[in-house]
Formats: sequence, C-alpha cells, structure tokens
Amino acid sequence: MSTGGKLLVASGITKTFGGIVALDHVTLDVGRGESVGIVGPNGAGKTTLFNCLFGLEEPDEGTVVFDGRRIDRMPVWKRSRLGIGRTYQRMELFEGMTVADHLLVAEQAASGTVRIWRDFLHRGGPSPDELRHVEEVLDLLGLADLAGRPVDTLDLGHARLVELGRAMMGTPLLLMLDEPSSGLDAEDTARLAHILDETRRSTGVAVVMVEHDLALVESTVDRLYVLNFGKVLATGGVDEVLSDPDVRRAYLGSTA
Amino acid sequence: MNQFLNYAVPGVPFGCVFALMAVGLVLTYKASGVFNLAFGAQAFVSALAYVSLIQDGWPRWAAGVIAVLVIGPFVGVLLDRLLFRRIRTASPLVKLVPSLGLLVALPQVALIIAGSTPDIPPPAIVGNAQEVYLHIGSVPLSGLELSISASTVVVVAALVALFRFTPVGLEMRAVVESPRMTELAGVNAGRVSAFAWILSSIMAALAGVLLSPLYSQLDPQNFTVLLVWGVAGAVIGRFSSLPLALVGGLALGVGQQVIAGYMPAGVIANGLRPSLPFLVLLVFLPLARQHQLDDPLSGCDPPSSTVERTTSGYHSASTLAAAGGTVRSVGLWHQRLVGDGGIRAPGLLTRRPTATLAWAVAGLAVLSALTWVPPDWLLTMNQGVAFAIIFLSLTLLTGMTGQISLCQATFAGLGGFMAGQLANNVGLPVVIGMVAGGLLAALLGVLVAIPTLRLAGLPLALATLAFALLADNILFPNRLIGNGAGGVTVPRPSAGPVSFAATKPFFLLSLVILSIAAGVVKLVGDGTIGRYLSAVRGSELAANSVGIDVYRLRVLVFALSAGLAGVGGALSGSLEGSLSPEAFSYQVSAVLLVVVAIVGLSSITGAVVAGVVYTTLQVAVTTLPSRFAGLVAVLFGLATLSYTRHPEGFLDYLGDRTQAAIARRRARRLRGDALGAGPSGVGPSGAGPVAPGGFEPTPVGEGAG
Repeated sequence: MSTGGKLLVASGITKTFGGIVALDHVTLDVGRGESVGIVGPNGAGKTTLFNCLFGLEEPDEGTVVFDGRRIDRMPVWKRSRLGIGRTYQRMELFEGMTVADHLLVAEQAASGTVRIWRDFLHRGGPSPDELRHVEEVLDLLGLADLAGRPVDTLDLGHARLVELGRAMMGTPLLLMLDEPSSGLDAEDTARLAHILDETRRSTGVAVVMVEHDLALVESTVDRLYVLNFGKVLATGGVDEVLSDPDVRRAYLGSTA
Repeated sequence: MNQFLNYAVPGVPFGCVFALMAVGLVLTYKASGVFNLAFGAQAFVSALAYVSLIQDGWPRWAAGVIAVLVIGPFVGVLLDRLLFRRIRTASPLVKLVPSLGLLVALPQVALIIAGSTPDIPPPAIVGNAQEVYLHIGSVPLSGLELSISASTVVVVAALVALFRFTPVGLEMRAVVESPRMTELAGVNAGRVSAFAWILSSIMAALAGVLLSPLYSQLDPQNFTVLLVWGVAGAVIGRFSSLPLALVGGLALGVGQQVIAGYMPAGVIANGLRPSLPFLVLLVFLPLARQHQLDDPLSGCDPPSSTVERTTSGYHSASTLAAAGGTVRSVGLWHQRLVGDGGIRAPGLLTRRPTATLAWAVAGLAVLSALTWVPPDWLLTMNQGVAFAIIFLSLTLLTGMTGQISLCQATFAGLGGFMAGQLANNVGLPVVIGMVAGGLLAALLGVLVAIPTLRLAGLPLALATLAFALLADNILFPNRLIGNGAGGVTVPRPSAGPVSFAATKPFFLLSLVILSIAAGVVKLVGDGTIGRYLSAVRGSELAANSVGIDVYRLRVLVFALSAGLAGVGGALSGSLEGSLSPEAFSYQVSAVLLVVVAIVGLSSITGAVVAGVVYTTLQVAVTTLPSRFAGLVAVLFGLATLSYTRHPEGFLDYLGDRTQAAIARRRARRLRGDALGAGPSGVGPSGAGPVAPGGFEPTPVGEGAG
C-alpha cells in the first residue's frame, strides 16, 4: 500500500449517528515521528475520529492505513499490537492494579499471545527484558517511586502519566492522546509537554493528540488539523492555522 | 391450513401462560433491575396455595382469588423488601444468585408451610378442565384452555388500561424508561417499583394457578421448567418491551406445539421442543443491545449500598492513601498490593498469611482420615473432593472473570459420561478416559463460548442456562452420551499393577487430582492470564487498547473451566460407579453456583469448603426424613438472604472480620507505643462496627511508600 512513507493515512472517513454526520470525509495523515494535533470546538468529531482510527467505532466509509497495512477492519487489540498506543479523555485505568503492573500488562500484551504454557512453566513471572523495559518507562515518566502504588491512590496528574506510560509500552510507532492535559494544572501540563518531548526524542514515536490547551499544542505539535462539524476546516503549521480567520471564527468565536 | 390450526390452537393457552411470565419478568426487570428467576417458584407457591385451599373445602373461585390476589402479591412484596430492593445496583452475579437460590428454596419453604403436598389433582378455576366446551374449526377447546386464554385476555386488557389511563400506570411507564429521571420529577420510584413487584407477582401467581390443572400432582420442577419459556419470551421482548414480550410468549407457546405436531416423533422432536428456548435465546440475545441488557439502572442510581462497594472493588483514594503502604482491597477480587516491590503477582485469589499453615493441618487431617474414618464416610468425603473440583471450575470462571455460567453441571456430566463411554465401549483406561472427558468438555466449552461470550452478565448467564437445557434434552438422552434414564457406568481406574478400585486408594487418587486442579487454578490466577484478567476487570476498554484479545482470553478461561468441571464429573462418576443425567441437570448447575457464591468464589479454599458443604447437604437431604430435607431448603434460603449482605462470600467475610480485629489490635498497640502513628484509625472501620465490605488499613509506616 503506497502511503508516501507516511505512518498513518486515513482517507475519506465518514461516520453518521442516526441523522447526525459526525465525520464527513475526513482525511488525515501522520508522518513517522511527526507530532500532529487535532483541535476544534466541542462536538466537532475529534474523539469520534480517534475512535474510528483506533477501531472502537467502525466508520461508514473510508480507509485507514497504518505502517503500510489496511487496518480499518481490524479489532482494537490487533491495531494496538501493530504499534498504536492510546489514552482516553476519561481515563481508563486498571482499578486496583499497581503502577508497575499497568506497564507490565501492556508490555506483555503488546508482544502477542496469552502464554498459558509459559505460565505453567515459569509461574507467570515477567521476563528480564519486560522488567527492564518497564523500569525504563517508569524512569522516563518519573514514576519510579510510585511503582508499587495502586493507581487508585494517585493524584490525577500521576494517573494521567500512568495511562501515557501504559500506551508507551511495547515500543509503539504512534501514540494517540485524547486530551492528555484535561484536568491537569499548568505545572503538570508543562511536565507532560516535557515528557512528550523526551519520549519523542528517545524513541522517535509519532504523536497524534486531541487537545484544547493551545499552549500545550503550540509547544508539542508540528502540524495541526482543525475539525468543525465533522469536516477538516484547515490544516498546516500551528501558527499558520491558528491565524487563519476561518479557524478563529469557528474555534474562538465570531468576534475574535 | 386446517392441520396447522390443529397444532397451533392448542398452543395458544401455553402461549398465554408464557406471555404472562415474560411480561412479569420484564416488568420487574425494568422497574427494579433484577431479573427474577424465582418467578417460577412464585408461580408454584400460588398454585400450591390454590390447591391446598380447595382441599380444605374452599370454593374454587375463592381459592383462586386468595392465591392470585393475596398470596402472590404478598410473596412478591416480601421478596422485594427483604432482598431485591437491596441489590438494585449490584453486579450481575449478586443480582442473580439470590433469585436462583429462591428458585430452589421457595417451593420447599412453601411446602413446609402448607404442611403436606395436596393429593387431589388441581382443578381449573371455572368449569371442567377436561370437558370440551366449543370448537374452533375442528379444534376442540377444553375448559382449561378456555379459562387460561380468557384470563390472559382479561389481565392484558387490565394492564393496558392501567398503563394508559391511570396515574400510577403513567408513573410506571416513566420508571421503566428512566428511574432516576422519574425520581427527579418527584415520583417515588421505590413505591412504583414495589407496585411493579405486586403486578408481576400477580402474573406469576395467575400463571401458576391457571396451569396447575395440567399436572396430576403439583411438583415445583414443572414450574421451574416453565420459567425458561418465560425467560425466552422476555428475551424476545429485549428485556424492555412489554408488548413484544407478550407477543414473544404467545409465539413460543404456539411454536412449540406446531413443532411437536409437524416433526416426526422421536428424539429430535422430543428434544427440539424443550430446546426451543435455547434457540430463541441464541438468536435474540445478541440482537438486544448490550447496554440495555446489562443493567437498566446503571448510571441511574447512586452506588450507595454496601453491596455495591464490596462487589465493584471500588475504594476511594483517600482511604487507600490513609492506609499508606500495605493495602488490601476487599471484594470478590482480593488483591494484595504491597507497597515495596512494584510488580507483584496480581493475586486474583485470596491469600492470607495463615493459609499455608491451615492447608498443611487440613491436609494432615484428611490423610489421617484414611486410617480412622469408616469407609462409607470416606466415600462421602470423596464425593466432596470430586465436587470441589467442579466448584474450582466456578472459582476460575466466575470468581476470576466475573462471568456467570449456569451450565457447569452440564460440563461435569459430559466429562463423566465420556469417561464412562470411552472406558466401556472403546476400552480406554479410565484415567485416560477422565482426561479425555475433561478435554471433550473443554472442547464443548469452546463451542458454547464462541457464540455466547460476546455477551456478558445476565445475557451470558441466560445463554448458558439455555445451553444446559439443550444438553438435558438432546445430548444427555443420547445413547452415546448420557444414555437417558439408564445412565452410564464408570469403572474405577487402575494404572498397571496399581488398582484404585478400593475406597482408600481411590480417595488418595482423588486428592491428587484435586491438588492438580487447584494448582492449575492457582497458576492461572497468579500468572500472565491472571494479570490480564485483572486488567480486564479494571477496564475492558483499556485491556483491549493495550493489545489483550479479551474475547479469546474469555474463551480460553471458559474452556479451561469446562474442562475442570468435566474432570470433576468424571471423578464423581468413577467414585459412584455410574452417572445418571438427572444428577447434572440445569437445576444442579444453579445450585452449584449458589453454593459456591455463598461460601466464597475468591479462593481455592472456598471451592473445597463448598465441596464439603454441598456433599453434606446432599447426604442430609437423602438420609434424613423428608421433613428435615425441607429444613435444608430453608437453611439454603436463609443463606441466600445473607448473601445479599455479604456477597464476598462467607469465608472472606470471616477472614475480613479476623483480619480487621488483628489490625485493630495492632493499631491500638502502635498508638500506645508512639504518639502520632498516623491516621491509621481513621479508616471506614475506625468508628462503629466493621462494615462487611470495609477494609482495615494497616498503620502508616508498615510498608514502604
């Protein structure tokens, strides 16, 4: 499948709910190692687009190609194993499990099969490689001190980092972050931006994020898509897009 | 056409009764969130009251009025108040177990109250049940058929009028739509829900009274079988539409008669008719939308009750933080989270420090039993061991994944039958036959799992129930499987020169097999699969998102569980020498689930204790005079009642109480030693009695932060 070397190419994604057109022939691409932002007013279809890309919702029309393979008919877990990590706007953590266990589960799951025979032979212990990778990510996120804490006891900022860390396990090619700064204060957001930069530099992972916080967008994103009423309103460099009068009207209100 | 009518018209009265049951089930399900499987038992209770009153000389119409309009609603309101109201927002398992327990216990309790089973054949309310009053075409209609159809028409008309033209009808429609919104509008949803229970109980009672003349003697069994048809009707109504449920029930009644008419006589026709509910469930369950089915009240009612707290495993951040390092969350899911290591075995099974010691003592005691226990008692203990394996299959499936299976006895039976058939007809050694029986049960488990495991919670439970029914009617009567009433003989095994035919060697062999089964469950719980399952319970969406194939994981665990049950069944058969299909009917599956849920689904100990309890109960029922057998049922009912207070199970409840006491004492001592020992006493159990689902935080400073 020719995608011009791009990592992710979604073309003509259309999704309707009843009579409402949530996405109308949306086309989006993400290059390898690139960081792409998606912004737009509430109800513009950002999360629906994410869900269509990740397989939680099936688009009515359109194709999704990831790393040279059609993925639009694949179940979620398969897309994840191909190298897509995702976080959620309303965090989805494994309640009751520890921080380290979150990462370990993701690391083991990313490598594939349920290892029932290995379980019986090794009593289910993680391999040294898996443990090393978990520790690396814990260090990168600054969560090493909290490794043994149940996630339920963490504050929101750390909990978001755990979710991000879980998405980073199994060395994904693409991180899909749905409003990663939602509910965080300025300090936590700055730390998040820093960690994202670090991660991209060290692993070369591509990022696509839905985000309302324009400061975070400006500091972490190479290219921006603006969605409005299910359509791509504008796309391009961050400064260029944000100064577009159409975008200002749709996103910031008509008086701006 | 004429022939079709000949078959279809006699089906209408059945359809009417099925429709009444389906409507009653949907009504309470939507209004109170509980799918009331005790419905069949309620029907029996009223039928019993009806016939008893007539035997005491009451006129038939008066007995009917009392049974339907007084006793029926009374039982319904009682159940609502004592039981179902408390579990409105609980997990599917917690909602299902009490109604299953009542399905078994309620008829027995009623029989005790009635004093004796009436020995007259139940008459129709009006007219003569057998006499033909009129013909439709060439189809004769008896008094029974006419009275059933007429009463149903009257009830449906009354219901329609109630819903359309009365204020309470309007409120009920609103509650069915959205209980929370209705409450916000100033309607007392609790009152309306109670009203729904009254209505639904009247329908159960009416169905029971109307149908009773079909049978020459009242038997609870007949009424629980009917329930499954009502369930199928409710599923056609997608658990939410009263008119659709009505139509569904009618269609099932007519359909089963037509099938019976057109199909050639024999196993297929006899089997297909009773398995129609299974086919209906299989087709219609996936059609109904998942979120609609799962919990009509989810997101509507605040999670307030203790039940909710103990079963969802939810614990607030502040209480956990107060606990500092070492924390035990309490629920069906016991997870021991220790604050220093980071990565831990997920601990899907309860672990207590004293467990190893207790196991060692118990093991020695059991081994010593070989020397002093009389052989027939040893046989009973051995039966307990066999059932412990079957219970372990539920620990694995329901305890670890939260999925409810009402066909574990079916898998156990299949394993046993296969072991026997392979030994008798193929000449395989029995031990290999047992393994093969387990494998075949696992294979069948996969076949059952593939269409049903897209479902969860209540729909899955109903699908497995329907499968159990299908097996009871089609697989078990087959000569090559269960051999019908004749059953299958299963020889005792021997391995080369070693024979396990005698009581003691066989007991030892059973212990070894139980240990292997327990080891398998433990390895699964503590290993990668256990960690995955723990993740799935935390968030299925997130589990999928990190690359766990949740569906395949579930099929795997379901198959493993079916295989374990099969091995247990094979062992039980080899112990007894023969197996009969009725020992593995769908009711047995229900009883098994209730017993192990009450004892405790979260540990291997729970399964073993459940094996002992179940066997003891069986011995009590078969050897004690029949009056006491009823008492066992009463005990069973009471245990079911207590289960709604302690859904974590009896064992964990005891364990938590003990641990709480120990922690309290330690906290007191620490406070005495050093001031400012931290907020250790501020946990939920710091003040007042220990909440059943609460946990006792260990003082800060015990674990590394």
